[in-house]
Amino acid sequence: MPAFAIRRPPRRHSMISVVSMIDVMMILLFFFMVTSSYLNLDMVPALQKSDEVPGAASATAAPATTLMIRIAAGGQAMVGGDSLDAPALTALLQTRLASDPLTPIVLFPSGAAHLQDLIRVMDTVTRAGAVRVRVIRIEASPATQVTP
Amino acid sequence: MKLRRPNRPAERETVVALIDVTFFLLIFFMLVGRLDATAPFAVQPPMGTTGTDLPAGGITLSLSPSGDLALDGAPITATALDAALTARLTANPATLVRINADQATELRRVLALITRFEDLGATDIALIVTPEAP
Repeated sequence: MPAFAIRRPPRRHSMISVVSMIDVMMILLFFFMVTSSYLNLDMVPALQKSDEVPGAASATAAPATTLMIRIAAGGQAMVGGDSLDAPALTALLQTRLASDPLTPIVLFPSGAAHLQDLIRVMDTVTRAGAVRVRVIRIEASPATQVTP
Repeated sequence: MKLRRPNRPAERETVVALIDVTFFLLIFFMLVGRLDATAPFAVQPPMGTTGTDLPAGGITLSLSPSGDLALDGAPITATALDAALTARLTANPATLVRINADQATELRRVLALITRFEDLGATDIALIVTPEAP
């Protein structure tokens, strides 16, 4: 045994403090609690790859007559110049769809109408059972067109 | 007669249960929170009851009533949006483009945006709606 053996003092068993971990976790928890939005979000398809065969429309015995619904700037649904509320529109749609379930529905909204108006009419049309719904728009005039 | 309780040693409170509960809550809020549909401005999606479940993934574009745009939560100009969207659609042409527009947005803005995306090659575009009243 060497004469100069340096003996280390026995180290005390150190404990890792969990307090800082709890602090970090609490901060993360509050962050996610505050930034979470609980809004239930759904989607309405605006553009989908058409699954219709091009010749399918002509395969039906009678050519379907398109029903055009205009949406005025104030949000009212107009069919043939008459302003229709939701029950009247539903009744009209059900009559037309009863004679031909594949009646194409064309929505022509005014550019000044709000998105909520279009979604409301689309809701009514979908709930009435229409399966072929299209939204059309007139190309903006060059003065108001957004440059790409 | 007086009963004397034996002196109990002071018990150390265990923090393990606290950590368990906090972790549980943390993971819950991380999973439940939808950070992907956020925008730097306030957006109240339109109410619609016939929507279908919103799938995860894809691009989220937010649109405010005044025409401000945000791509996946970051503000973007219309010019930069075209380039960003073209790059994303070139990488994956079937990318779902979600439009998170405010319910008071004029349709001239929304429909013009959809047409432009279609011109850029998007084949799957959806409007975000909420089935509940705000």
